[in-house]
Amino acid sequence: MDTATHQSDEDILIHGLKSGNQSAFHKAVRLYTPGMLAVARFYLDHSAAEETVQDCWVTVIDAIQKFEGRSGLKTWLHRIVANRAKNHLRKAKREVSADFSETLDPELADRFAPNGRWATPPSLKTNESAQALLENGALSDCLDKHLASLPETQRSALLLYEAHQHKSDDVCNILDVSASNLRVLVHRARQKIFLMVETFQETGEC
Amino acid sequence: MLMCRDLARIASDYIDGELGPMDTVSVKMHLMMCGHCRTFIGNLRASVDLINAHSSQQLDEELVRRIDERVTESLNARNSGNGNSD
Ligand SMILES: [Zn+2]
Repeated sequence: MDTATHQSDEDILIHGLKSGNQSAFHKAVRLYTPGMLAVARFYLDHSAAEETVQDCWVTVIDAIQKFEGRSGLKTWLHRIVANRAKNHLRKAKREVSADFSETLDPELADRFAPNGRWATPPSLKTNESAQALLENGALSDCLDKHLASLPETQRSALLLYEAHQHKSDDVCNILDVSASNLRVLVHRARQKIFLMVETFQETGEC
Repeated sequence: MLMCRDLARIASDYIDGELGPMDTVSVKMHLMMCGHCRTFIGNLRASVDLINAHSSQQLDEELVRRIDERVTESLNARNSGNGNSD
């Protein structure tokens, strides 16, 4: 190993991957597979998505030699998955179907009167922090359930934008959607979670 | 005049600071007058925090194991002969 004065964890990991170190791969696989799956599932069904992510890791063994670090490792991996998934889709002559036309969730849309004011206003505001709310295991489970039942396109957009903290430009690039369509997907997904939290707080049920 | 439904449509853009200056002013004016929409924005923001705080990225251990296996196989095939030095 060379004697760089200061290396980030990511640099060390990249160095390990480049030298074909097994434990570096093990670490990277655990760290990056969830995000890579989120990317693949935007384009493909579950089993094809898993297969694509597996294949990607095998190609990474050689491809990592060409990684120059212009983007972060995560973004680089997500782009590899996206390209492979898109090829897969092209070969199968299929397209991603997502609805970008309506910004409002239908259930939320029903809560407005014809004059555009709230007919069924939101329930009272919660003052608990997210961390405090999540200590309630039932809420946490409910959130998992609702995230799982989102349309794949909405969930992938939400996870990449929110949980994986990608910049909008990167998500648009990886998912091949325009900035405004990404906004629609993220907003639709957030509304679903908003409605879930509201129901949960009112009824204690998922 | 911005109505509650219009505000609900652009609420995420407002929260993320992606609205233009004119729309931002309209939203702020509306929020001053409308308690329901203040609650809506507050609760939507809380939902975003919740998603961020909730690391729902549960790892599929079975998948990770399969990937590890394939990676190890390929590494071994590639490095056959060389020891694994670090
Ligand atoms: Zn209002």
